[in-house]
Amino acid sequence: MRFWIPATFLALAAVFVLDARRGVRLPIPPASGVVEADLALGPPRIALQTPTMQNGRYLMACSECHALFPSPAVPRETLFQHTHIRLSHGLNDSCYNCHDRANRDALVVRGGETIGFERSVELCAQCHGLVFRDWQAGIHGRTSGSWETNSPDRRRLRCSECHDPHSPAFPPVVPLPGPSTLRMGPPSTPDPHGQHENPLERWKAPAGEPPEEH
Amino acid sequence: MDPNSPAVAPPSRRSFLRGAVTVASGMSAAVAALSPLKELDSSDLPTLDAFLQKHYLELGPGEMQAALERIRNEVQKRWDVDPVVRDVRPREGVEFVYALNLSRCIGCRRCVHACVAENNQSRAPELQYIRVLEMPLGTTDVERGNHHYDHATVPDALHYYMPVQCHQCANPPCVKVCPVEATWQESDGITVIDYDWCIGCRYCEAACPYWARRFNYAQPEIPAEELNPEMSYLSNRPRPVGVVEKCTFCLHRVREGKMPACLEACPVGARKFGNVLDPESEVARILREKRVFVLKEDVGTLPRFFYYFDERYPRPADEEDAALGQETAK
Repeated sequence: MRFWIPATFLALAAVFVLDARRGVRLPIPPASGVVEADLALGPPRIALQTPTMQNGRYLMACSECHALFPSPAVPRETLFQHTHIRLSHGLNDSCYNCHDRANRDALVVRGGETIGFERSVELCAQCHGLVFRDWQAGIHGRTSGSWETNSPDRRRLRCSECHDPHSPAFPPVVPLPGPSTLRMGPPSTPDPHGQHENPLERWKAPAGEPPEEH
Repeated sequence: MDPNSPAVAPPSRRSFLRGAVTVASGMSAAVAALSPLKELDSSDLPTLDAFLQKHYLELGPGEMQAALERIRNEVQKRWDVDPVVRDVRPREGVEFVYALNLSRCIGCRRCVHACVAENNQSRAPELQYIRVLEMPLGTTDVERGNHHYDHATVPDALHYYMPVQCHQCANPPCVKVCPVEATWQESDGITVIDYDWCIGCRYCEAACPYWARRFNYAQPEIPAEELNPEMSYLSNRPRPVGVVEKCTFCLHRVREGKMPACLEACPVGARKFGNVLDPESEVARILREKRVFVLKEDVGTLPRFFYYFDERYPRPADEEDAALGQETAK
């Protein structure tokens, strides 16, 4: 009796049909849901390039107030005006280091020369020389629009278009979601490389616990 | 022998039935094995035009127009979006180079998702060209990097961040291993793939030491409202399932003078891009003036993607440096 030949074929047919019904499903994780608004294209800060103060609906030049109300000789942290300004610029912690004491619509550089707000880069440069040199060469700072050095679309940002001069460090930002790709796994995946023991770092093992011998 | 008897004895009823059952069950097993083909959608199969299309480098002007028109029709049919599909060729006298400032990168992953949006990458399953590695301070050993960092805010004080994408090598191992020459290096240094010629063998994915190539295991899913309609043949047109894809430095943008999407999204200006043959370009200056390194220099791939770093400045969360600053102030 060779009944096993058709029996094998029929068993195979059953397996194939059941397997096809179960189907092949890739473990596809859901989309991250990042939308274009999350990317926040553009510079991190829109610069306040003109010395103006918004008070309610009125936009006025700094000198309009300061001509009437002289500010104290050494304004420090206890400001009752400009309370939105958080001065966190390292050792540079006095208003008159940068703002001109007499002409409030201008800035002052070392040596007493008065410069307009449009030349604020020179003010930054007198302390941040290395960064200024890099910025001049295009190494520091954002360049957007075009990589062609002579293109009209090319846009270079000045210091205060990214950095708040009163608090120049970038604030920490919320990162966008990490990868959940088929190759790298879902976000909770422990990093396989982090689990490896590095034989060159055995000396870091705490004292009293000799490294395991294999 | 009796001349009237037939040369072959007629099969008995038993042997006939046995043979019939064997053949019938064998055929049913074969049909059952092929039954998954029922799930094939006609849109999963290449059209005849796509199947008969020549290699990108052999397409004449008319044939290229026909191919672009076919891609346009396919996109229109699937997403109901009218795209602009073009073929953007490299320029003379241009060699693109990328430079990335590790001192500035904060690991915010804006570049990753800007790339996904620009290049019509699959949203589910996710497919991303850029990986941002969170690295412990004091090492450039990528084996110790972590993709899945999940801080409330970045940067983390004890780590730095290293984005990795296609390095557009001058000596690309991925091109060497392709058995069908579906991938090659263009004159401006960008390595591209003809997505209609790729057979999906994934040799290139295995050959790349930077883990820069991605394989479409499933049909890419992109919401119609998120589809970028500005498409080019070699870069960001929607890719079919079963092919390998990669970063092309956004060639449809950069060959027209624009910046790559990842650079435009970078909020801190850590990314620098340009023509290295122009001595006045930013990247040429960086290569001249900065301390620059490439990943896995020892494998001899000659990447066009350079990492550099600045003189160290303190970060707000950097407690050690903050303490140092206070001491100096006293």
